[in-house]
Amino acid sequence: MPELSYREAVRDTLVTAMRDDEDVFILGEDIAEMGGSMGVTQGLLDEFGPDRVRNTPISEMALAGAAIGAAMQGMRPIAEIMYEDFMTLAAEQVVNQAAKARYMSGGQLSVPVVFRTQGGAGWSPGAQHAQQLEAWFVHIPGLKVVFASTPEDVRGLLWSAIYDDNPVVFFEHRTLYPIKGTVPEKIEPIPIGKARIHREGEDVTVIATGRLVHESLKAAAEAEKEGVSVEVVDPRTLQPLDEETLVASVKKTNRAVVAHEAVTRMGFGAEVASVLQYQAFDWLDAPIERVGAKFAPLPFAPVMEQFVVPHADDVLQAIYRTVNKKA
Amino acid sequence: MATEVKLPRLGQGMESGTIVKWLKSEGEPVQKGEALYELDTDKVTQEVEAEASGVLLKIAVQEGEVPVGKTIGFIGAEGEEVQSADGDAPKAEEPPATSAERPAEAPAREPDRQAGREAAAAEAAAVESGGGSADGGSANGRVKASPLARRIARERGIELSSLAGSGPEGRIVAADVERAQATPDRPRDTLSLGPVGEVESRPLSNVRKTIARRLTQAWTVPAFQLTVSADMTRANELVQKQRELNPGVRVTVTDLLTKVSAQALMRHRDMNVQFADDALLVFPSADVGIAVAAPQGLVVPVVRGADRLSIAQIAQVRGDLVSRARDNKLRTEDLEGGTFTISNLGMYDIDQFVAVLNPPQASILAVGSTREQVVPQDGDLHVLPLMTMTLTCDHRAVDGATGSEFLRTLKAFLEDPGLAL
Repeated sequence: MPELSYREAVRDTLVTAMRDDEDVFILGEDIAEMGGSMGVTQGLLDEFGPDRVRNTPISEMALAGAAIGAAMQGMRPIAEIMYEDFMTLAAEQVVNQAAKARYMSGGQLSVPVVFRTQGGAGWSPGAQHAQQLEAWFVHIPGLKVVFASTPEDVRGLLWSAIYDDNPVVFFEHRTLYPIKGTVPEKIEPIPIGKARIHREGEDVTVIATGRLVHESLKAAAEAEKEGVSVEVVDPRTLQPLDEETLVASVKKTNRAVVAHEAVTRMGFGAEVASVLQYQAFDWLDAPIERVGAKFAPLPFAPVMEQFVVPHADDVLQAIYRTVNKKA
Repeated sequence: MATEVKLPRLGQGMESGTIVKWLKSEGEPVQKGEALYELDTDKVTQEVEAEASGVLLKIAVQEGEVPVGKTIGFIGAEGEEVQSADGDAPKAEEPPATSAERPAEAPAREPDRQAGREAAAAEAAAVESGGGSADGGSANGRVKASPLARRIARERGIELSSLAGSGPEGRIVAADVERAQATPDRPRDTLSLGPVGEVESRPLSNVRKTIARRLTQAWTVPAFQLTVSADMTRANELVQKQRELNPGVRVTVTDLLTKVSAQALMRHRDMNVQFADDALLVFPSADVGIAVAAPQGLVVPVVRGADRLSIAQIAQVRGDLVSRARDNKLRTEDLEGGTFTISNLGMYDIDQFVAVLNPPQASILAVGSTREQVVPQDGDLHVLPLMTMTLTCDHRAVDGATGSEFLRTLKAFLEDPGLAL
């Protein structure tokens, strides 16, 4: 089993798909010579040339529209939006065009496009370059939303996203790019809509996405020392959501913590909590706890940024609250 | 330093009592001597007075049976912290994840939130110190339990209110229910599911338990009965006159009966006795119990020294006792120390009946209604208002002749009340 970083895993999927399939191409700002602002597409220009590795003008709306148009014509474009904060500029195309075309054309059009984007705090990018806006897109019927947390998952899920005939918004986390993990020799597609149980436990289920999957695993290891057995589940796909796996886990443990880096208020976790309380009401032995960023713009100052976003200890405290344990 | 409110011993042999309800709530000021809570003992339900002034800081036992001497609450100065036996009251925790998201909240709201937290902490403390008692996770009548705990309790037929909660803020969680020993097929649960017309099983009140225990005890006493009828013509006239003379009190036949029975008892001191295993107790005054059908069951308050009271005074005392019996407000001392009991079912149109002894008393008089009857007298037929009385006696203390002499005197006093003077 080879070991790849999260960044290399994304690149490996792009390269493999582009080698296999002439319909696949990538476009975005500074993705060609520069190799992308996060270095994900480094080397691709050399191998595939400027027709399939296309630099675009600095207009997210234009590049998103171009990708959608190409997808409608039968291509499988992968558009890189440099920061997910800039998805707001592409929102008209993503929300009103990509998400609606298949429905409004009565199935005559399909839009097999992927919008790859990244975000996340932890390196002081400031209030406009570190948000976690997945909740905005989970709210739109017609879009699929993926948020992978490991090299193996990002590889298998990106492959499935490329070959899904519907528009997929594919979130990557900036601070996960360097993490390493073993991946299958050959890409194994991971079905969209399937959660992953990272760690089995008996007392509390932590449902976490992105960076918080790793923070939750740290918290679970701490809790275990105190005799609290924690199950950690990553939905991986936010839309469609693998409700079955999440509900089954909570029915087993009777307690739930929902954790993400985005602000708690109106966040993805609110929907998860709602699903759990409705489908597992009679199995809940404690109120569902939520962990997320404080309701504030992300500060630039590192110490303040650390204060606003959640870490392993926040997850641990939430775990302890569900079992009424003093930390 | 706060004063502990402990369950008092209100009568000989009292081992425990059941707190029915508190008449003051936590945080309310209390004056010494003010009614603080209602207590149900095996004799009566009565209001218990506060023994200190201050603020009712904490109710440790909200309701249920408590042994004598247990601390059930605290009275002290306003704002004073109470150290419960279980240690410090747990502080309610603020969920950080959500509260931290309100940086712009006006600071003016902080006192409200603090008050809310204190209330929650007090609630939790009350629940905690309730321990394994019947208080459980309930506060102000509401049982706090997780959905899972509720489901398990429902499935196993466990009453949540009987459990103590170990979760946050005293919430009953699944583990608490699992610890509780479920009793399968308990009548209550069968009932709630059963079809219409099923037998209803009502838990016994303390009064009902006492009645059952004492009358079963009475049944073991060797007893005999004597029956006599009295012409009530003059007695009725006297009652009528007494009513005219004392418009403020309502004099009844029972009051007259109480008076003349007391007089007869003093004339036949051998009747005013109790059998005490190795001795016969002979009492110096006639303390006459009157059986009262109160809503909670039969109670027998005592008119003390009835031999020394006028009929009007007896009527006043009796009226007060009966109304308090009906309001469930009798005190232990109202019920103790009778030497004789009158049970009058005349108002129910009962001709005559046999009463069961009221231990440890040696005799009880069962009185029927007064009816006009044709009586042959001196070769003629007379229509007379007759009242039939049956005296039940403890044969260990009283012989048939003694009882008969007493009844003869009683009959004479009723037929010619002047003889009682």
